[in-house]
This record gives sequence, C-alpha cells and structure tokens, in this order.
Amino acid sequence: MPQPSGLSAPERRKLKTGPLSKGDKWFFRTTTIASNFAFLLVALILIFLLAKSFPALQQQGPAFLFGSKWDPEAEKPVMQLGPMLWGSIQVAFLGILIATPMAISAAYVIVFMLHDRLAKIATTLIDLLAALPSVVIGLWGLLSFAPVAANWARLLHESLGWLPFFTIGNESGTFTDSPFIAGWIVAVMIVPIITSVTREIFSQMDAGLINGALALGGGRYSVFRQVILPTSATGILGGILLGLGRAIGETVAILYVLQLSMDINWFEILEPRGGAVASWILARFGEATPAEYEGLMAAGLVIFIVTLLVNVVANLIVSRSAGRRK
Amino acid sequence: MSSIASRQPWADRKLTDNLPAVIGSIIPAATAIMIAVLAGLDFSFALIVIFLPLQLLSAAILGFRYARIRGVKDALLVFGSIFLSTNVFVLLMSVLYAVVAQGITAMSPQFLAQNNVYVNTTTSLEYGGVGHAILGTLLIVLMTTIAAVPLGIAMAVFLTQSDSKTKGLIRTVTQALSGLPSVVSGLFILAFMGFAHLERSGFTGALALFPLMLPTVARVAEEALRLVPSDLRLAALALGAPNYRAFFQVILPAAKSGIITALLLGLARVVGETAPLILTTNANNGTNLNPFAGGIATLPTYVYGFLGSGYQTSQLRAWGAALVLLILVGLLFGFARVVSRTKTDSKRSKNKKVK
Repeated sequence: MPQPSGLSAPERRKLKTGPLSKGDKWFFRTTTIASNFAFLLVALILIFLLAKSFPALQQQGPAFLFGSKWDPEAEKPVMQLGPMLWGSIQVAFLGILIATPMAISAAYVIVFMLHDRLAKIATTLIDLLAALPSVVIGLWGLLSFAPVAANWARLLHESLGWLPFFTIGNESGTFTDSPFIAGWIVAVMIVPIITSVTREIFSQMDAGLINGALALGGGRYSVFRQVILPTSATGILGGILLGLGRAIGETVAILYVLQLSMDINWFEILEPRGGAVASWILARFGEATPAEYEGLMAAGLVIFIVTLLVNVVANLIVSRSAGRRK
Repeated sequence: MSSIASRQPWADRKLTDNLPAVIGSIIPAATAIMIAVLAGLDFSFALIVIFLPLQLLSAAILGFRYARIRGVKDALLVFGSIFLSTNVFVLLMSVLYAVVAQGITAMSPQFLAQNNVYVNTTTSLEYGGVGHAILGTLLIVLMTTIAAVPLGIAMAVFLTQSDSKTKGLIRTVTQALSGLPSVVSGLFILAFMGFAHLERSGFTGALALFPLMLPTVARVAEEALRLVPSDLRLAALALGAPNYRAFFQVILPAAKSGIITALLLGLARVVGETAPLILTTNANNGTNLNPFAGGIATLPTYVYGFLGSGYQTSQLRAWGAALVLLILVGLLFGFARVVSRTKTDSKRSKNKKVK
C-alpha cells in the first residue's frame, strides 16, 4: 500500500538510559571504580601476602598451623604457628568472657536506666574508650594495670587454685605476663564495640513489646529476661563476633603484657606463657631472616583470612537483626 | 534512644523518689568494705567477698519491700547491671588518669618542641622531646587523608545512590575491611614494597595506614549521605541538574557536618596506629620532613620505642608522648562530637517549631 507523501513518521529516537552529560559519565565512572576499590583492596592484600608467603607455606605444609616449633635459622627452617594460634583463641575467648557481661550491662544501663543527658555522656565516654590507640592501652596495661591484675591473679590462685585453670607450675611466679592479663587488656579494647552494637539494638527495640510485657504485669527482670534479651540476642552475638575480630587482630597491647612462648599453654591462664599470632609477627619481625620473613607473612595471611571471615559474618548478623526489627 | 526511654512507664517515675532508699541500701556494704580495707584486707578481694554479697543482700531486701519476690529479681538486675557497667567506666578512667598523671610530669614546652637527636634511654627529661614525632605523625596522617577521604566519599556516594547489584556485597566487604587488623595492613604494604622496590620512608607508612582509614571514612560518610532526604537530590535532578552538580551543590553541602565527622573519625582511627608504622617506617631521632626518604618518627612508634627499654626516664617519655597522642585523639573526637551535635540540635529545634 503506497503511503501518502508528506505523512511519513518521524525517525525513531533512540532512548537513552545512561548518564546524560559528560560530567555525569565521569561522576558515575569515578564512584563505581572507587567502590570496587573495596574488592581490589581485599584481592591485593590476598595476592601480595600469598605471593610473599607461598614458599614458606609450601615448605611447611599443614604443620604450619598445628605444629609447635619455631626454628627459622636451622638448615631446613621449621616454622609452626600452633601455640600462637591457640593463644589467640584463648586470649580472645577470655576477653569476650570478661567483656560481654560488662558491655551488655553498660548498654542496658544507658538505654533503659539513665536519663537522656547522662546517657549521652556515657555513650560519648564509651566511644572515647573505643578511640584510644592500642599503644596507649598497652602502656597503661604494662605499667599501671599489670601489677593490679597480677594481684587479682594471685587471689584467684590462692582461693580457687584447686581448679585446673588456676594452677601454676612455678609457685614463686609473679603472676604477670599471663593470658589472664592479656585477656583483660583485650576486654578493655572490645568492651566499647560490643557496648555500642548492643546499645544500638536495645534502642531500636519496639517499645510496644516492652509496654505490653509491663501491662501484663512483668517487672524489670522479666521484661529483660523474656522480652529484651530474646529479641536482641542475635544482634548481641554479632557485636561479640565484631569484638572477636578485633581481639584476634590486636597486636601492640598484647605484646606488652604477654610472655609469648612456643611451649603451648592449653588452659593454665595464670602461667606466664601464651601466644597471639599478631603479636608474634611484630615480636619476631625485628631480627627476622629472609626465611622467617616469609613465615611471618604466612602468619599475617592466616589472621587476615580469619578476621575477614569473622567480620563478614558479624556484619551480616548485625545488619540482618537491625533490619528485621525495623 | 531518648525517645524510647521516655515512653517507658518507669521513666515517668522520678529517680530521686527512690534515692534515699537506694543510698541507704549502700551504707552497710560500704561501711563493711571500709572496715575490711582498714583492717588490711586487699581491696579487690574485699570488693568481691564482702561488698558484693552485702550489697546484693540489701538490694534484695529493698526490692522485697517494694514488690515482694518479684521486686527482689528486679533489684538484683538493677544493682548487678550498675555494678558491671561501673567497671567499664572505672577502667576507662583508670587509663585516662594514668596517662594524664604520668604524662604531665614529662610535659614542658621543650618536650613538645624539641627533637631527640642527643637523647638516649637515660638522658634526663630536661633534654629532648616529641617535636619531631608530632611533625612526623601529622605528615604521614596528612598524606593518608589526602588519598583516603576523597576515595571514601566516592565509595559512600556509590553506596547511597547506585542501584547496582553489587552494592550489598561492596557494603559488606567495606564493613568487614574496617575490622582489618593493623598488623596485616603493615605486612601488606611491606610485601608491596618488595615488589615495587620502595624504600622504607614516611610515604610507605602513609600507604600502610590507608587501608585502615578508607573503610572508616566510607562507612561514616555513607551514614551521613543517607541522612540527606532523597527529595533534595530528586528535586535538583528535576530542575535539570546533572548528577554530579546535584551532588556537589546540593547533597554535599547538606551532609557537610557528617562528612567532616567521617574525616575526623577516620583521622582518630589511624593517628594512634602503631604496628603498621613499625613494619613500614624506620625510626628517627631527628626531624625529617621529607616523606620519601629516610627514617621518620611518629608518636605511636615513639611510645613503642621508649617503652621497650626499662629505664625510668624512657618510660616517662613514653607516658608524655602517650599524653600528646591522647590529646590529639581527644581533640579530633571532640571536634567530631561538636560538628555532629550542632546538626542534630538544629534539626530538633526545627521539629519543635513544626509541632
């Protein structure tokens, strides 16, 4: 069918969905590249650490993680991280054990007991504690806190010495440099993290739930035990995991207050020997031979992978539990 | 936080109503512990064995008088949580007090201004100081900031404005990176230096702080940008502004205080980092303002170095440097509080006017 002349449809315009101007194109490009920098950073850290530590990992095999001998100067260098790895877990666990009750209480007091102005001051103080550099905590831990904590350790040993945790081999010991004190130092560093996560979650609690429980005749205790704690348990767990990540990565402060030893210390937390991977890296680094240097890189790789996994899980838990409540 | 607290029934009751009874309940336990300590018993031992049981008992009695058996549990919860949370503040105060009390003895104008060229571990405190370390810290942190803050803000822009599918993953990775152990960051740059044939210098120190500062800035800046109502951006776009102008002329000014907070918290995060600097820079007793060559001193490594030797004067030097570091962190932190507070306060007053 011939079309009448002069009525031809206008040419179809292409629909554009992308950026409309050159400036926008650059704006989007820059921000996208910048955000992918997060992946890039993780990839770069993995690649560089792996490249530097590969010879050591290949040579040591799985014994690198589980053995307990560190002799990098031998003809065939032996580097095994077992006691340090166990020490990191032990100190982090002690730290969490000490910090969690304090942190949950502090969050409870701030959200549910203090009046606005006092609560704000307390929150600021907790955040300030989080901002204290670890070298300052280490200085305080070594010169001010260790003597006090050693006294606590002595009391623990004298009153509860029959428990297997509180025995010590050497009766004339000074009770310093033990995993017990390192655990306290780690607790000081992770209390603010757990507190702020818990506080955030407590303050997002549905007030209707609490009021409902009170209307049904609940008291402070039953509301806490049966309403507040169950609804915020996962979030608190996330906060504890965040603290765990920080505890495993803690380096300088632990180095001051713990006697690092390749003689593995399973449960005797008052003994002056323990371990921490991060501190071991720093302690050995100064006079490391090339072979040992590779072993320390491998140790760094291990804590990087562990803390990355712990942090990812922790952040997922925290953001999930916050999202569900809203 | 405040809104919830005010909605709770018990918040209507005045705390002062119970005050005489609460204070009264502390008296017996406090007296007992004072007598015990005066009699020569160890304080922490007496706290656990004498004060705690007595106080729990009197709290229980108090609770029982108010609400019978249910009141006992409530009173124990209240007392227990106050006792435990007090420990947190005692620990914090102990750190602050120790640093201030010891650091002040080392403090003097000369300690702040001079460097350490003629100082060894036993030199008396009248000579030398942390001047070079302050300059070194500022220099290194400045270099890190120049790189990390724009990049962190760009990441935050992507996380708030993009509808890309990878956004959630990027946010998770960024959050996880903000828990990166500082020693790993140092080792990473050390490995990188091996490949790039870089010498240890202030610049490599700044590189090692960069992975620590970036996620902090990105996270706080994202929260700040999220607070800007999306209507503002959409209105700017509807008026024909391209995205980048909408960002620079509308969103950024609106989120200014939040962005400054991100900068300050990022600074506070890295200014005290020790392990990466020990791994990637050489110590120096003199002033070095060239970031690309030679050793450079920083406050954290200064503390670390002088604490290593057991002499009294070196320890005092370490306390002094720690006090300077603490003041620096406190200032950054205080500024961040002031900046973010002025914003929320002005918002609140606007809301009141509407009501």
